[in-house]
Amino acid sequence: MRAARSTATAVPSQFDGAPVSRACLVPDFEPREVLGRKGTRSMDRATALAITAVGALLEQLPGAHAAASEEMALVLGTSTGSVASIMSFTRDSLTGNKPFFVEPGRFPNTVMNCAAGHSAIWHRLRGPNVTLAAGRSTGLMALNYARRLQCRGRARAVVCGAVEEFSSERAWLDWHLASPSHGERLLGEGGERLLGEDDDRLLGKDDERLLGEGCAVVMLEPPHPGANPPLAELMAVQTGMFADAEHAGELLVRCLERAMGTTGISSHDVWAVAPCDAPEPLGEQERAALAEVFLGDVPLSLSAGRLLGDTSAASVAFQLAALLAAAGDAPDANGRYALLTSTDADGVVGCALVRLAGGDPA
Amino acid sequence: MSVHAPQPVVVTGLGAVSSIGIGVQAFRQGLREGRCGAKPIEAFDVSGFEYANGCEVTDFDPEQLLERLPVHEFGRASRFAAAAARMAVRDGGFTTEALRAAPGLVAVGTTDGESRDLDHLALVQVTEGPEHMRPEVARRVSAGRLSLAAARELRLENVEAVSVPTACAAGNYAIGYGLDALQAGDVDFALCGGADALCRKTFAGFYRLGTIAPERCQPFDAERRGILTGEGAGMLLLERLDAALARGAHIYAEVLGYGLNCDADHPVAPNEQSIARCMSLALADAEVRPSQIDLISAHGTGTKANDVTEVAAIRQVFGSCPPRTISVKSMLGHSMGAASALASVACALAIDEGFIPPTINHVTTDPACPIDCVPNQSVPAELNIVLNNALAFGGNNAVVVLARHRNGHRAGHVPSPVPFV
Repeated sequence: MRAARSTATAVPSQFDGAPVSRACLVPDFEPREVLGRKGTRSMDRATALAITAVGALLEQLPGAHAAASEEMALVLGTSTGSVASIMSFTRDSLTGNKPFFVEPGRFPNTVMNCAAGHSAIWHRLRGPNVTLAAGRSTGLMALNYARRLQCRGRARAVVCGAVEEFSSERAWLDWHLASPSHGERLLGEGGERLLGEDDDRLLGKDDERLLGEGCAVVMLEPPHPGANPPLAELMAVQTGMFADAEHAGELLVRCLERAMGTTGISSHDVWAVAPCDAPEPLGEQERAALAEVFLGDVPLSLSAGRLLGDTSAASVAFQLAALLAAAGDAPDANGRYALLTSTDADGVVGCALVRLAGGDPA
Repeated sequence: MSVHAPQPVVVTGLGAVSSIGIGVQAFRQGLREGRCGAKPIEAFDVSGFEYANGCEVTDFDPEQLLERLPVHEFGRASRFAAAAARMAVRDGGFTTEALRAAPGLVAVGTTDGESRDLDHLALVQVTEGPEHMRPEVARRVSAGRLSLAAARELRLENVEAVSVPTACAAGNYAIGYGLDALQAGDVDFALCGGADALCRKTFAGFYRLGTIAPERCQPFDAERRGILTGEGAGMLLLERLDAALARGAHIYAEVLGYGLNCDADHPVAPNEQSIARCMSLALADAEVRPSQIDLISAHGTGTKANDVTEVAAIRQVFGSCPPRTISVKSMLGHSMGAASALASVACALAIDEGFIPPTINHVTTDPACPIDCVPNQSVPAELNIVLNNALAFGGNNAVVVLARHRNGHRAGHVPSPVPFV
């Protein structure tokens, strides 16, 4: 993030048949190379991303992990788990000599809590293990769920975030979602596919609208002696649901006002916002909502999407990571507030409000 | 337990879409009669499988059961969730205006989300090519849409709408989340439960694992051969007690507490110690002793592994004379993400009306599963406190405690500190 370097790259041949030639992939991420060959033979990409990110987080904990694993919780967001695993398993059933000629070792990959369950096995996390789905706004739900687990005393330390993998299947679903007429424009008269090098330009995509992937997680815990210096404090999460996309903006305004109101702060106290920059028209609704709340004087606006691509359910998690990274470099952010916002095409909008605490997320 | 005394949370409305009945009345009747939902699967092409029974919902009419949802924009599981939510609200005597005015939570658990649609997209992919996938089907598959469907059916805006895809424990997760959100004062009502639709993917997977029963589901039976895949939705309307009393709502039961934990051991095989610990967590959260539990609604899938492991865990927690332990999966099959929600609906009805739904298809109790499973016939029983287990792939365990509530008083509750084992 500091170098502001995009991760957009050519889609390697392992993603056979994807309708896009470029995507924002985690560089050189081969599950069996990153995690080793033991226990990874049937592992899907989303699970590997999650295990890796959770492991990287736990390495930063000062020795508390081993003692606390009974109570350490994991809350992980997703869109649909690994749609690649689900569809490839089904394809095996459809094309095999018998409909049950499917790989039993891959069956768990077809269930959406696979990444969370495997992360728990790998890292011995025996507290509440939760998977959530709410489209692009999933990360807000994950933060709220984690917050409630702690308020209620069901867990002290909560690993909280979201994961999304790139795959040919995901790319195809996204391709069809982007415009129903894609199929018509890109199919020849005989129904043959006309995809070629210029597809992304044909579809009007630039780097910002490329699909991205990854896993971002944070540790939520109450302050205690020996803990790492805190990066931020979670103050409030507010979400709502629109029936019409035209009302997304006003609903987001209400969420923002409620979050700031219950925390007792005004727009002047906000150092930065990290919006999700959803595809239009929701991106415009989001910007309009922020302009309204901040009376045109919107604070620093951080965008992870420009560099990371569209990470779908992991968007808010990456927005938070980008925010904490930026705050770590800005001493004037300490003690001030920041907002994450999200607007999802299926209807969920909302925000999370944090108070920045000055720790360095190195 | 936290230091302050949280407000009690009660169940005031129920909705059920199931293979033994659609709607609370039919579902209740099915439970009392010990109705079996098993029949040959029609939902997908079963040629090539030696046997293919399931507990399918064949009489679901979205036109009749849904008022506002644009049906074709949502997949089958979402429609189930929305219909059950509508039923729960109606059953609870809430007007939609009153619901819209208050902040709420809509939490729908699921295992497979819209995998029926993903089945179809995979079929198109292999027969015609992925560019021929229908966009309107592709739009339906995001798992978050299940909770959105329920919220949209009821025109709710001021809601936190989230899907909880924690496999076969999802319904209990959602109910527990409703409890926490209500007790925190964040919301005034919670519509919680779970939904799933039959799909080829899931059937093929369990079949390959050798855990699909050829004919019927026989939990705790010596000859049990596995699960029957099922489908449906269960939704519960929850609110704080003072609000329920103020509007004169009928109270089915109170949600006393719940426990969540993770085996962190094996992706699919259950772990006895971890299951026992989850039940103990739930009891501690509810502040009840094992001896106060009148009935256990088991996860009880009917597989060799689950039933023996679960009963061993029950005996660990409850001793050598555990309470009667039933499995409604004997009737409903394994409805995946809907399973523990439908079981919770069944527990609420059992508590409210004073009967125990039976474990049907029972011939001989497996000596390795020494419990009284209330075989074949429902029996009348005064139930004060009931435990509902849910144990999922990924080692995701969630156990909910429900209790009778009459005239503003909680029946049988002894609010003294309990030793946590």
